[in-house]
Amino acid sequence: MIVHVITYLRERPAMLKWLFMAYLAFALVFDFFADRHHAHFWGDNIIGFWAIFGLIGCLLMIVFCKGLSHVWLERDTDYYDK
Amino acid sequence: MTSSIFMHPAALFIVGALLLPLFKKFNAQKIWLVVVPLLAFLQIRYLPQSFGVVEWLGFKLQFGRVDQLTMVFLHVFTLMALIGSIFGLHVKESGQHIAAWLYVAGSLGTTLAGDYLTVFIFWELMAFASVFLVWYRKKKRSIEAGFRYLLVHTFGGLVLLGGIFLRYQNGHDLSFELIAPDAAGLAEYLIMIGFMLNAAVPPIHAWLPDAYPEATVTGAVFMCAFTTKTAVYVLARGFAGFEALAILGAIMTLYGVGYAVIENDARRILAYHIVSQVGYMVCGVGIGTEMAINGACAHAYAHILYKALLFMGVGSVLEMTGRSKLNELGGLYKYMPLSMIFTVIGGIAISGFPLTSGFVSKSMIIAAAGNNHQLILMLMLSLAAVGTFLSVGIKLPYFIWFGPKDSGLQPKEACWNMQLGMFMAAFMCIFLGVYPDYLYNMLPYAVDYHPYSSYHLTETFHLLGFTGLGFYIMVKYLKPHDVSNLDLDWFYRRGAGWFMWLARNPIHAVNEWVSNVYQTVGLRFTMAAARALSWFDWEGIDWALDGSAKGFIKGGEQVRQFQTGKLQHYIGAAVGLLFLVLIVVVLI
Repeated sequence: MIVHVITYLRERPAMLKWLFMAYLAFALVFDFFADRHHAHFWGDNIIGFWAIFGLIGCLLMIVFCKGLSHVWLERDTDYYDK
Repeated sequence: MTSSIFMHPAALFIVGALLLPLFKKFNAQKIWLVVVPLLAFLQIRYLPQSFGVVEWLGFKLQFGRVDQLTMVFLHVFTLMALIGSIFGLHVKESGQHIAAWLYVAGSLGTTLAGDYLTVFIFWELMAFASVFLVWYRKKKRSIEAGFRYLLVHTFGGLVLLGGIFLRYQNGHDLSFELIAPDAAGLAEYLIMIGFMLNAAVPPIHAWLPDAYPEATVTGAVFMCAFTTKTAVYVLARGFAGFEALAILGAIMTLYGVGYAVIENDARRILAYHIVSQVGYMVCGVGIGTEMAINGACAHAYAHILYKALLFMGVGSVLEMTGRSKLNELGGLYKYMPLSMIFTVIGGIAISGFPLTSGFVSKSMIIAAAGNNHQLILMLMLSLAAVGTFLSVGIKLPYFIWFGPKDSGLQPKEACWNMQLGMFMAAFMCIFLGVYPDYLYNMLPYAVDYHPYSSYHLTETFHLLGFTGLGFYIMVKYLKPHDVSNLDLDWFYRRGAGWFMWLARNPIHAVNEWVSNVYQTVGLRFTMAAARALSWFDWEGIDWALDGSAKGFIKGGEQVRQFQTGKLQHYIGAAVGLLFLVLIVVVLI
């Protein structure tokens, strides 16, 4: 059953994309109604702070780590056997 | 409950392991594999607060010390031993099970130990038993990785032992209690470094991603649970509140997750991700507030279950397809749907989705950092959470089960016991998320934390959702390639090569040269010297000795001729001598 559902969804990437966007919109709207009196620091009081943190953090991490891997760390898997 | 019958959990596993071949002979290995861990899990609540105190050579050893901090770790260790043993039921080799159980026994023994000597004994048992879980894979790479693992842990054990000796010299007290940061000297820091090596704190972490991916399928499931979390326990027991741990822990979270983003082998990704997750716990221990210690324990509990679940899922794929590299996998959801569901549950739990165990445990440590006004730590931990979702929550399941390409593999679903093991772990991941009080009630301190606040929910929705967006944007850059990345094990792996080169080339050459010089010059010189000495012995010493001996004989003969035995001669001689003396005296 689950296999059919996933296959069905995979055949409709546009629908998945819109569902995902709808979820992101929901998350942003939800943020307006969150109770903030336990804020730890200034960022907690900005609407959407963690959205930006998540997106920028994710992009920077991919660029930094993949970049470091490409220019420096990457080796063949049998590097130590040679 | 002091009158109840109980057995030291470590002893239970050791006896169980030793009796296993007997049960195998009677075709009852599978039953025994379930009975022993189940018994251990059920009986921990009957353990008295203190037991097994032994006086030995003037040392007071304590094999059993139970309090709230011990209990939460005992609970998850025995539960994990049960899940792991069920997952490995199909493995026929008794040796693997014996190694796994001795390893569990080491971990339980360390957790229960009340003094450093007992800690050390079980600490070493852990290292020596677990290396067999690597070697049982029986591949050249595994055997080599196992030796490296053993050497690194032997080094760590020696550092620990050195610290223990120094501590004994300083205070003649080996009881294993909390150490205040300002009372710590060289001895305490050596002990801490020994513990940190097992917690895989960089720069002494590289043994973990080196060895775990080379272990057997079931071996890796056990290993990912015990070594690092036992180290978290001993750090929490002895070194809570050390600021160095808080900083190193936060660095660990990012270091591990950074490698998890770029690695290709699924088990290597998970191994690096252990470094990241243990970082949260080490950081919590370092912050040292009641909430942070609670968070570290809760996270250890939750982490053991979902990381084992992920290792089981990836291990099932390895077992069924023989592959664990992401670039060789993809599209498996059609053939192994149940394993897929379980692994995805592990992935969302580790990422901290609401209603999973990660949501109620990880956030405690982050909130503790926030409450303690350690803003930078808090942001580092939050960034690591982003990386966690990116690498293990999305990348790993995506490239194994779905992926841009179909690998063409059509494996069967894993066998029933592997699925049962995964089901149990997946159930616990959800159960703890839905009913966090079950976990919170076990923690060392009273919990005043409510994970399901609207702000925590919105924060999580944002972090996860927009990390997902980041993945969606960058997915083509994350396509896995068949490479591995250098890490700090380079120093000893390449260093050992250089050492061998040095030994084989310059040192060997110098050795040869010296022995040549000796043979040509030294030997002749020695022979000449020997000849000279022999001549001296013959001509000098013998002559002198013989000469003096002859002199003695001659002198004796002459004296004998003087001694005629006639009294008148003696009197005559004495009078003559007296007369001579008188002449001399008078004349002078």
